Parts: sequence; C-alpha cells; structure tokens
Amino acid sequence: MSTLTLAAPRSTAPGLRDDILVVEGVSKRFGGRIALDAASLEVRRGSITGVIGPNGSGKSTLFNIVAGALPPDGGRVRINGRDTTRHGPAQVCREGVGRTFQISRLFSEMTVLENLVAIAHGKSDVEAVERARELLDFLEIAGLRDKWGSELSYGQRKLVEIARALMLEPTLMLLDEPFAGINPRLQNRIVEHLDALRRNGLTLFFIDHEMRIVLEVCDELYVLAEGRVIARGAPEAVRADPAVAEAYF
Amino acid sequence: MKTLALLLALVALLAVLPFVGSDYALSFTIQLLMFTSLAYSWNIIGGYAGYTHFGQVAFFGLGAYVGALLVGAGWHWLAAAAAASLAAIALALALGSAMLRLKGSFFAIGMYGLARVGENFALGFDGITQGGTGLYLTPTDLTPIYAVLAAIALALIAFTHRLDNARFGLQLLAIREDETAAEALGVRTTRLKITAFMISAAAPGAVGALYASYLAFIDPATAFAPMTELTTIAMVLLGGLGTVLGPLVGAVVLSVVNELLWSRFPELYLGLVGIIILGAVLFMPRGIVNAFAKRRWRWVSAPRAGLRRLADAARPVPAASPARTPAE
Repeated sequence: MSTLTLAAPRSTAPGLRDDILVVEGVSKRFGGRIALDAASLEVRRGSITGVIGPNGSGKSTLFNIVAGALPPDGGRVRINGRDTTRHGPAQVCREGVGRTFQISRLFSEMTVLENLVAIAHGKSDVEAVERARELLDFLEIAGLRDKWGSELSYGQRKLVEIARALMLEPTLMLLDEPFAGINPRLQNRIVEHLDALRRNGLTLFFIDHEMRIVLEVCDELYVLAEGRVIARGAPEAVRADPAVAEAYF
Repeated sequence: MKTLALLLALVALLAVLPFVGSDYALSFTIQLLMFTSLAYSWNIIGGYAGYTHFGQVAFFGLGAYVGALLVGAGWHWLAAAAAASLAAIALALALGSAMLRLKGSFFAIGMYGLARVGENFALGFDGITQGGTGLYLTPTDLTPIYAVLAAIALALIAFTHRLDNARFGLQLLAIREDETAAEALGVRTTRLKITAFMISAAAPGAVGALYASYLAFIDPATAFAPMTELTTIAMVLLGGLGTVLGPLVGAVVLSVVNELLWSRFPELYLGLVGIIILGAVLFMPRGIVNAFAKRRWRWVSAPRAGLRRLADAARPVPAASPARTPAE
C-alpha cells in the first residue's frame, strides 16, 4: 500500500484528551417522534470511533446533524473546537470534514477522476489531478481512473467515495455504513485502508451494522438506542455491557 | 485540438461569407448566429448545471428593449448592445438567489413566468415602449452586426470548451447530477449557480439588442416570443445537452431544416419541424453529438478531454487489474 500525505494532525498537551468532534446534548424530533434525545459524544483526534444501534436508534440523524445536513432542535456540535451547530453541509465540509454516503452518491455521468477533481478546493487543476492520482494509487483503484461513475460496481463505488472524501484533505472523516452490502474480502480491504488513514493522522467516525468489523476496527464505540447513548467505551467493554446486550445483541 | 480546428474553420467561413454570400445568406447566417449564441448561453445553465428553464427569452427581450431604447436615444448600436448585456446580467443577479432556490419543473415554469412578466411590462409601459405598436429604429448596415454576432457565437463556443475542461464546469455538472451531494462535499452550489445564471444571461441581452438593430423594430411579441425560447431549447436538445459542440450542431441542423421546410411547405413546416424534433428526442435522447461520441466518431472530442490529457501527462494510467479491483 502506498503512503499518503494528509492534513497534519494538531498536537496537544500530553495527558489531555484532544477531541476533534464534540456533540453535546443534541436533540431532534420529527413530528411527534423523538429521533435523538440529548445525545452526547466525543471523538478523540486520531481515533477510529464508531456508532452502532438498532434500526431507528438515531444513528443516521446524529450523523446528518454532525455533517450539517440536518439542524438539531437543541444541543451543540463542535468540530475542531469551532461551533458548527448551525453550519450547512458545505460549511461543515470546509471545517475539515469529509464524508461518504450510505447509498452511493457518486456523480455517475463523470469519470472517477472527474468525481475527485470536481470537489478539490484551493488547488490548481494540475495539483488537483495529481492529488486524485495519489489517492487512487493509495486505495489501489488507479485502474478505475477513466471509468464512468455509472460503470462501477457497488464495492468500487464505496472505495471511490472514500477517495473523493479524501480529496478535501479532511481532518475528520464521516463514513456512513462503509461496510454495508459488500463482501468480507472487500470489507477487510477497507479496514486496512481505514487503519492506514488513521496511522496517517486522520480521525474516522462511522456508523455501521457490521458488528465483526466495528468490534475489530474501532478504538471507541458508542451505542445508541431510542435516540440516547446507552453505552460507550472500548469495543469489548461495550459488548459485555448488559444494557447493550438487551438493546442490541 | 479538434475544437480549436473547428473554431478556426468556422472563423474562416464566417469571415468570407459577407463577401461571397447573397443578402439572403447574410440574413440567414445572422439568425443562425443569434440562435447559436442563445443555445450556447442556455446550455451553460440548462445543460451543464441542469437547471432547464423556459425563461431565457426574458433576458433576450430585456436586451432588445434596452438596446432599442438606447439606440433611439442616440447611442451607437454596439454600445447599446453592451449596455443591454449588462442589464441582463444585473437582472440575473437580482433574480438568481430567489429563482435558483426553485428546482426542476418549478424553476422551469418560474422562469417562463418571468418571461411573461417581461412581455406584459413591455406592453403595459407603453409610454416608454410604445406598447404593442413597438419601437422603430433607423435601419443600419447588417455586416457589422453580423460580425459582432459571429464574435459572440465564437466566444461562447470557446468559453464552453474551456468550461468543459475546467473545475467550474465539473462543479456545474456535479450540481446537475446531485446538488445535495455536491454541497455536502463543499461545492458552493448557490454561488456557482448564480454565476452560471449571470453568464448565461449576458449574451442573450446583447443578442436581443443586436436583433432589434437587425430588424430595426421591436415589439413585445417579437422580443419575448415563446417560439424563440422553444427553438433555442430544441437546438440544444437536438445537438446534445451539456456538450461543447451540441448547441452548434443543433442550431445548424435545425436552422437548415427549418429553412428548407419553410420554403417548400410554408403551412406545414412548423408541424414537420415538431415531428423531426420528436423523432430526434425519441431515437437520440442525448442529442446528435452524444450519439456520435458513443460510436467513437473521431471528429467529436471526448468530454473533458483536456482533464484526461492533464492526467495522462502526469503519468500513464495503469491497466485495471482484476486481482486488485473489487467487483461486487
């Protein structure tokens, strides 16, 4: 696997927890239904943090609020120390957040290269093309460069979406069910890539249902049930939590 | 390179036409250039950004009236055309943030409504516009008007070629494909849409003013004619939406077909043109240029070929390796 240059992670004083994402008491209602009920979490810089929970537990709502796609009814979101609670998606993105989507949203009438170059910020065309090539090499999908978005398989789309999000040179990456619907071999490849990205200083925050992967890859895990955080901690500790077993396992 | 060669050939052809062609040929080419410019302008917002609409004639009509009134006040027609272009850009800027919140059919119909508002204002403010009677201008030499229209059309072709290979063009395409995703990935969609809208209004404003000088007359029915709008859109659809050559191909094909049918079947020609457009849309839904590009005809440049060349110049693309490529 080739190496990759990412935005330099901030250094923090030894012993102090450095959180890149802080969600404080965020609530959201849809009509009479409570989707999130004063949910709070912190994502440590340089970690891989996951959120799991049964269907309807509020994972996607939480994710969309962090990404700026939904405004919360209450609470606060801070990214890199800045309040992004009322930011729109483009503003959140410019705070150093890249994201992928649960259902692929590649631009299907563009090639893979164009998908990546289209969203580059603050780069000349030559620099954007070079960065795109670097990312495609890193993810071992350089051969897909000139394929149309519509020609890609489901798994290829997942990888290209990760490459596209990395074009933004994020400090925090939001991954919406990156392992859903793909075979174990590709799941393992994505795990390897995410691990390499983390080693390069990127923080990864994702939601998924794939328990095998979540338990394997995460440094810290949050469990949501009925819009509330019912457990947090290292994956094995969370797995052993009776409340989690009752709600989820 | 193909587009550059085509542009040079067009420049040569257009340069000699006034000296070798008849008055009829000159008049036909003026109208062809006018529609080519309108089609390229519409293609920027309708083709690239995906905001199809029926209101470009609002900018054309505004330009026609601004141009006619300024020429009537003693301005040179060229200065009047430049002022008309600025007026159209200003209108697009003023309306852009409101109108471009609308999407799909709502934007299309909203823009159609804007054109009808323009037509009714031109009728209603008869103290300025002479209402339905129209404004009459002193006829002027057509050759300089032809030259300016040719320059506008060529500039728009060159601009579209640049747009097709620039990040701005890619971002407009991203908006067309999935505006929500584009915004979530940091594309400043509102700013880009308004910019594209303003650019797409500039030439119709100037062309409207030049058309008024060409006719030496303008009235609301001519300035805001729905037929001008529909012909422009039909040209883009026929040639290829969101392509570099599509509007040119569509404008040439439809203008020639129009002219041939009109001279032979004056009472049926509109119906026949309609049938041809219907057939083209049914059998070549992505337009002539895309249909030929799909068959890899060498005279059609691949979309965004410049970007691909840039990537090839950096390093050759490795062959796809099945062992490395996930194939879900």
